[in-house]
Amino acid sequence: MSTVPEIHRFTSIRPPKVTFIGATAIAALGLIVGSWVFVLGADRVQSQPFFSVETLERGGRFLQALLGIGSSSTPAFAQWAAWQDTARLAYQTLAMSVLAIGIAALIALATFMFGASNIMRGELAPYRSWVWGSGFFVVRAFYTFTRAIPELVWAMLIIFMFAPGLLPGALALGIHNAGVLGKLSSEVVEGLDTRPLLALRSSGAGRFQVLAYGVLPQALPRFITYLFYRWELIIRTTIVVGFVAAGGLGLEFRLSMSYFHYTTVTLLLIWYLVLVVAVDLIAAVLRRMAR
Amino acid sequence: MSLASLESSRTEAAQAVSLSGLSKAYGPIEALAPLSLTVAAGETVAILGPSGSGKTTLLLLLSGQLGPSSGAVTLVGREIAQLSPGKELAQLVGMIHQQFDLVPNISALHNVLAGRLGEWGLFKSLVSLVWPQDRPMGMEALARVGVADRAELRAGRLSGGEQQRVAIARLLLQDPAIVLADEPVASLDQARAGEVIRLLVRIARDSGKTLISSMHSVELARAHFDRLIGLRNGIVQFDLPSSQVADDMLLALYDIKGLRRED
Amino acid sequence: MKIRPLEGRRLLTIILVAAFAWSLFNVDWGSGLVNTGGLRAAGHIASSILRPDLSLDVLDKAIRASWTTVAYAVAGLTLALAIGFPLGVLGSGVLFRSSWLRRFNVAGTRLVLAFFRSIHELVWAWLFVVAFGLSPLAAVLALGIPYGGILGRIYSELLQDVPEAPLRALRSAGASEWRVFWFGRLPMALPDMLSYTFYRLECGIRSAAILSFVGLGGLGFQIRISLDDLAYGRVWTFLFFLIALVSLVDVWSSMVRRRITA
Repeated sequence: MSTVPEIHRFTSIRPPKVTFIGATAIAALGLIVGSWVFVLGADRVQSQPFFSVETLERGGRFLQALLGIGSSSTPAFAQWAAWQDTARLAYQTLAMSVLAIGIAALIALATFMFGASNIMRGELAPYRSWVWGSGFFVVRAFYTFTRAIPELVWAMLIIFMFAPGLLPGALALGIHNAGVLGKLSSEVVEGLDTRPLLALRSSGAGRFQVLAYGVLPQALPRFITYLFYRWELIIRTTIVVGFVAAGGLGLEFRLSMSYFHYTTVTLLLIWYLVLVVAVDLIAAVLRRMAR
Repeated sequence: MSLASLESSRTEAAQAVSLSGLSKAYGPIEALAPLSLTVAAGETVAILGPSGSGKTTLLLLLSGQLGPSSGAVTLVGREIAQLSPGKELAQLVGMIHQQFDLVPNISALHNVLAGRLGEWGLFKSLVSLVWPQDRPMGMEALARVGVADRAELRAGRLSGGEQQRVAIARLLLQDPAIVLADEPVASLDQARAGEVIRLLVRIARDSGKTLISSMHSVELARAHFDRLIGLRNGIVQFDLPSSQVADDMLLALYDIKGLRRED
Repeated sequence: MKIRPLEGRRLLTIILVAAFAWSLFNVDWGSGLVNTGGLRAAGHIASSILRPDLSLDVLDKAIRASWTTVAYAVAGLTLALAIGFPLGVLGSGVLFRSSWLRRFNVAGTRLVLAFFRSIHELVWAWLFVVAFGLSPLAAVLALGIPYGGILGRIYSELLQDVPEAPLRALRSAGASEWRVFWFGRLPMALPDMLSYTFYRLECGIRSAAILSFVGLGGLGFQIRISLDDLAYGRVWTFLFFLIALVSLVDVWSSMVRRRITA
């Protein structure tokens, strides 16, 4: 019985154990304080102070300009002709978003099963080989690479190759989202119930047949869910990619900003919101159909 | 092509299964003591015993999913270790589990046709996902197990009993010489369980297949199988035609007091 | 009656394929699709991946730019928390018992949240830069508002999805709705809320990087000027920093998430 207090004494001498969560909390706090110090003290780094009365006045003037207050001409969002002109741009933007999600889906569909570790080197791999094992790493590295680079940067790179238009923008969005969709779907495959797959294997199915009959059908519903979820995000990003890839609403937004046509900016923002709401509604209907 | 053309002469050898000194140990724990026995072609065998008695281990060894610690399994004259794990093994042994054998998101018919994957090339199997190949054969198998009207439904939407029937239909298309079943009706209610076991045994007899099944229900095993093997603590307690298995043997098999404590 | 359960899916497949075909039809496939010399430029960019510019000067710039990007992301996310948490609580409607007040509040808050997140952070950034000038305020607001909208929506859903049984016990012990929230609902939803916030940090880094497009500093700004200079080696250096940063935060956040939601 005399050993019990000794153990207590021994453990109490140890330095307090720093848990991972504890360290994370400290790091997060440090980051938050550090960033705000940096951001607020940025007048030494940047040309502008964080905040001043002047900024507020400037903001007020911009808001008035957006609403067309104090301008002699009719604001663009009150002109029927301006609506007609921009409708075509909204239509193009919608087409760009569909093309983008299509490209992302095709790339992800062709690769996601090969990015799942249980298929490539885990219990569902019939034999271990370096070809399949390294295939896994290639696919996952591809996803990490395409995902880490934002859509806009992809667009800046791709625009070197293609003439401005729908395609380069859609490609930029598609490549980035292929990485996102692929990673999410690979993780779905890694979480699949393996019993039906092992049963298929034992009834004589080869590796690709197990993929086609067991893995793909089981993963597809979640894939479709992610597809619509990404489409909803893509439509929000299409305008941004359009800034550089010059398709749809984005280019017009950029030009209107540069020429101080702020009421046109408002009109474009209205179209933008219409598209976002429309896509959310369409996705909701299609999602119900998938069930 | 019809089902009849499949029910082939794969079961020619008189001995479907032969075990010689087969044993399995997980570390220091002996799951199955050295065991030698033979099962004749076309025989229906039920393995009985309390949980942890080694039933599942024995079935896994027979199906080649597990390697033995010693001894060998010979199926229809061929040693299991010499067979390639894919198609070759699938022609000899087919397996049916308690549940979760089917892919829930594809139709019952596609699940059944998956029994043909060992025969089909990759291209044909891909085409079949859109235009089902060998459809008459699949429908015939579904009709034989009594669920032809469910062919187009997703397997996940079927009841437990219907799912087991579809799994049996898949075995019909896979057409192995030996069918292994791991407590195939343990998750069904009594009435369904009786129907499914009757179906499984009848189909095995009709097509001359050897059936080896672990069973949790003694009554069902006695009523439908030719031969009963009692396992306890990895040791065979009896191995007799069902008619010769007496009640006191079964009582002793499931007696709680005598069960090994150390594991 | 013949049951045809796959009909919805078939129809969906047809719709998706048709939509993709329609989008392809909208592309101008004329001869001017690929820039003259575009392939050569692409080759240049691609081959520079093996020759990133690792001079001290560039590395110094990359580290500074990385810190700016992280600082914007973290400061933006704190603002997003300050917006998302109260609005999320309001939008979940859990604090109200009276039904019409609750419905009015939930609908109103959700509309505001939806508006916040509908507009992409870069569009916000541009508007704020024009409004406030090239101040870090614009960057923090541009990230904080859409992210606040997303956090608010997810928080309100998580707060609603808390199991009711333990809350009923608190209520029967005489606790007010306010106390039920602080001592029952919030502690139960907190792990998932934190987990989601950490996931958003990863996205925040990527978003912060592209804010530079409108002139705010950071990795994206460096990438853009390097591209303008056609200095592809430098582009890749900054891109590698971005990839490393995102991957680092990704690993960290997934480790944290595993631990708090397990």
